Amino acid sequence: MTSFKLKIVTPDGMIFDGEAEKLIVRTTGGDVAILARHIDYVAPLGMGEAVVVTGGERRTAACIGGMLSVSGGEATLIPTTFEWAETIDVDRAEASYRRADQILQDKDASETDIRLAQARLHRAMIRKSVASRK
Amino acid sequence: MAGVSTKEIKNRIRSMESTKQITKAMEMVAASKLRRAQAQVLRSRPYFEILSATIQTIACSDRSFSSPYLKEPPEGKTLYLVIAGDRGLAGGYNSNILKLAYGDMEGKNAEVLPIGKKAVDFFRGKDVPMVTQRYAEAASMGIGDCFSVAKQLSKSFLEGKYSRVFVAYTSFASLLSQVPRTMRLLPLEKRQEPDREKSRCDTIYEGSSEEVFAAIVPEYLGGVLYGALCESRAAEQAARRAAMDSATQNAEEMIADLSLKFNRARQAAITQEITEIVAGS
Repeated sequence: MTSFKLKIVTPDGMIFDGEAEKLIVRTTGGDVAILARHIDYVAPLGMGEAVVVTGGERRTAACIGGMLSVSGGEATLIPTTFEWAETIDVDRAEASYRRADQILQDKDASETDIRLAQARLHRAMIRKSVASRK
Repeated sequence: MAGVSTKEIKNRIRSMESTKQITKAMEMVAASKLRRAQAQVLRSRPYFEILSATIQTIACSDRSFSSPYLKEPPEGKTLYLVIAGDRGLAGGYNSNILKLAYGDMEGKNAEVLPIGKKAVDFFRGKDVPMVTQRYAEAASMGIGDCFSVAKQLSKSFLEGKYSRVFVAYTSFASLLSQVPRTMRLLPLEKRQEPDREKSRCDTIYEGSSEEVFAAIVPEYLGGVLYGALCESRAAEQAARRAAMDSATQNAEEMIADLSLKFNRARQAAITQEITEIVAGS
């Protein structure tokens, strides 16, 4: 398969910089797959699983927030957080999930707390599901 | 008496030595923290650069492009985010950035969001209203906090609560020089004139370019804020290291000085004793 240049950059550094054959990410509008020679494209990212295929090998990751841009045949993924499935700390995700769940159960929680907890719950669920499918 | 004076000098030398040990230890701690902070700055830079380049490309891709984030609202309230340290003993680090930020606010209808304990303490005694005191610990502030602040900021900006948003931080120019500066976050600045040749047909946007832009701006601000925070942290450690280094050197100088005095006093006492013995025999 033809490959294209892919860069994955998060605030914690460059995660990936090289050739890839396929990239699947969840944008706010749904899942999209990017192949070589894609038209110039910009989309904000949602929260979900990302798949990168390089050299026939398929790697999955939890990818949350940020944006995807393709320009001149090069793809740049700029997520807020991006964790390969094998590096996800399942215990931490589990703990985060339980903490968020507790806040949601709490009737006295403020509206902002609930909103934060919902987002945290969502993130933790994605981490868990990505980690369990590696 | 000569005896008392040598004892006094000895005590002073001892206390200087313990001071020197403390400053030396602090210097080494700062140096190791600095290394980590510096690596963090280098790691976060590409993210920030790519994000800002993309924002610029979208903003300039089309002449008809407009976004509330780019419009200059009439004069209103100005919000300052001031990033300082949590602890003192860092040379001029805290006072420089606070002085700059406070001077910049003068004569403006300003509010402040202090980050770091020193910033909170400083603005508590001033007449500038504080938005929140939640971020009194700059060291424990993570990327998540930056994003939630950025989200809040963009919301307040769109609601018209603030007409300008600035961030005051210390940029880490090098190990020896840290420059306090303010930077405008909102409204965003267009750096180049829109390209007439290029039309928006060149790029597909998920939704419209305006929608994408509106979704990305809070992320971008979060990234900028995080970058500024990382720079400030590195600058703080560099400033502390330099301050402690010069404190250690001063201590060494004083010890050398006092040792000389001590030896002179001791010699004087011996000479006196000999003179007394010789005179008495």
